[in-house]
Amino acid sequence: MKAKKSTPYIFLLPLLMAFGLFLFYPLTKVVMDSFYKFNFLNPSHKVWVGGFNYKWLFTFRLYSPTYSYFVGALLKTVIWVGGSVAIKVLLGLGGALLLNSEFLKWKKVYRTLLIIPWSIPWAMSAMIWYWTLNGQFGIINSLLLHLHIIEEPVSFLAYPVSAFISTFIVDAWIGLPFMVIMLLSGLQTIPKHLYEAATIDGAGDFVKFTKITLPMIKPVLLTVSLLSIVWTFNSFAPIWILTRGGPVTSTTTLPIAIYNTSFRYLMFGGVGKASAMTIFQVLLVTSLSLFYIRTLKGEKS
Amino acid sequence: MKKSTEKKVKSISYQVLAIIFASFMLIPIYQAVITALTPSTSSWISPAPLLPKNITFYNFLAAFQLVSRLPIYLLNSFIYGIGVSTFSLLIAIPAGYSLARFRYRLRNPMMIFVIYANMFAPIMLLVPLYVIMKAFGLVNTYLSMVLAGSVFTIPLSTWLSVSYMQTIPVEIEEAALMDGCTPYSIVYRIIIPLMKPALVAIFIYAFITGWSQQFTLALVLISNDKMMPITQGLYQFFSRSSVSWGPLMAAILISTLIPVTLFLLVEKYIVQGLTSGSIK
Repeated sequence: MKAKKSTPYIFLLPLLMAFGLFLFYPLTKVVMDSFYKFNFLNPSHKVWVGGFNYKWLFTFRLYSPTYSYFVGALLKTVIWVGGSVAIKVLLGLGGALLLNSEFLKWKKVYRTLLIIPWSIPWAMSAMIWYWTLNGQFGIINSLLLHLHIIEEPVSFLAYPVSAFISTFIVDAWIGLPFMVIMLLSGLQTIPKHLYEAATIDGAGDFVKFTKITLPMIKPVLLTVSLLSIVWTFNSFAPIWILTRGGPVTSTTTLPIAIYNTSFRYLMFGGVGKASAMTIFQVLLVTSLSLFYIRTLKGEKS
Repeated sequence: MKKSTEKKVKSISYQVLAIIFASFMLIPIYQAVITALTPSTSSWISPAPLLPKNITFYNFLAAFQLVSRLPIYLLNSFIYGIGVSTFSLLIAIPAGYSLARFRYRLRNPMMIFVIYANMFAPIMLLVPLYVIMKAFGLVNTYLSMVLAGSVFTIPLSTWLSVSYMQTIPVEIEEAALMDGCTPYSIVYRIIIPLMKPALVAIFIYAFITGWSQQFTLALVLISNDKMMPITQGLYQFFSRSSVSWGPLMAAILISTLIPVTLFLLVEKYIVQGLTSGSIK
């Protein structure tokens, strides 16, 4: 479209200002703060400490003989994200295949039932799950008791391993509807005649799935999975509401560690150290984003 | 004959799988509903009864009696949500128009940056946002929550408006330009009326996301009890020794009603916008 050269920039100006003030400026602040020592008890007292905060990340230990607080959080994040995204992708694909199948009835009902958990604010979902997982009165315990899978009620959030697993199942539950709906819309773009031709050639369901379905939805699957990895990586509210990073540090992923270090552990933590952690979070998200942008571009060409 | 039995087996087994899947998605919501609808005493039965007994709506009343500020918290959340939506649209419409209609140097880098910015989450910027808001004296104000919340909804809002504007034929605008319209009046008089459905979808997307993110942002930006969003307000149902589960679940059901209804209305638009990428 023809217009003065400045026109597109004037339209873009509000966006540039918003990003500049509330994205770029905070980011540079994070970088700067990571070289200072200060906390919110006395924010005006800022001391330049150079790379000390980064060294602290790898040396400070909390209840762990093997890893530093930060490295432990990083490792937990990787496993936690892996578990949650694996559930989201596998069940998401399964759900999408079901909803796309000609043999399933009441598709609209299932679709609507899926949309409801998607639209509940995450914090509320986590609060509901906090009740559902309750060690005495939660319905999960009641169900497992009735099915004779367990003999006695289990306090899922009170033990490190079960708390860890519970939190990523809850996170997967929150993210699953998005996954199903996105993959479903990918499945719906596959031309029907491909399957018809395969049926004439005598191909079974499994062959159709591996030779037609998977290759055709690979681009969507890849982009949605990457998006999901980033979102899961940034997930804070569900863990915070369910366990606050405990018991001990068993569910302390990187976002929880950042929050605790800046706002809770005022004695040994502080903004500088939390900022150093945030740098790693930003770098990881950035590298994942680069992957994501590359696959988006590849999809188009 | 054999074909039809095979079909039947498939149809039944898929139905069973779908029911298992749906139960997994609905279990927590189911317990929330029965806890809200049964007398408080039944919250303290272990193991929890699988079917509700003695249905009552008392908890919905008790929620407002127990936490008298509940309407204020709901109103706060609503204001934060509307604020984030409005602010996101004010920025996404002109930015979307710029990126959808003009070819210039900054365009492609900006498109990529918008995707990148969408990857940011409140937790990454919590500390500096708090420091900035404090410096501006905005802590414990509606404005701080709206500004901070918008940062995370502007990218996808912009993206959605670019996608939609690209589907509007450019000829009308070219004719208007010939007639002496300025690009600004074109946006106001032609684009905005034409993209009304998309605007509604973006508005609701930003509203729901803004509503969802309130929890994390309010943890640091809001300390005044009267300014808290509903998510923080719900902690009033937690006392030192116990939790009033019945009223709490009733309050949760009340406060999820708005986002759930809105989402059901526009889910199709949001999914379409997300799946029709427009990166080149």
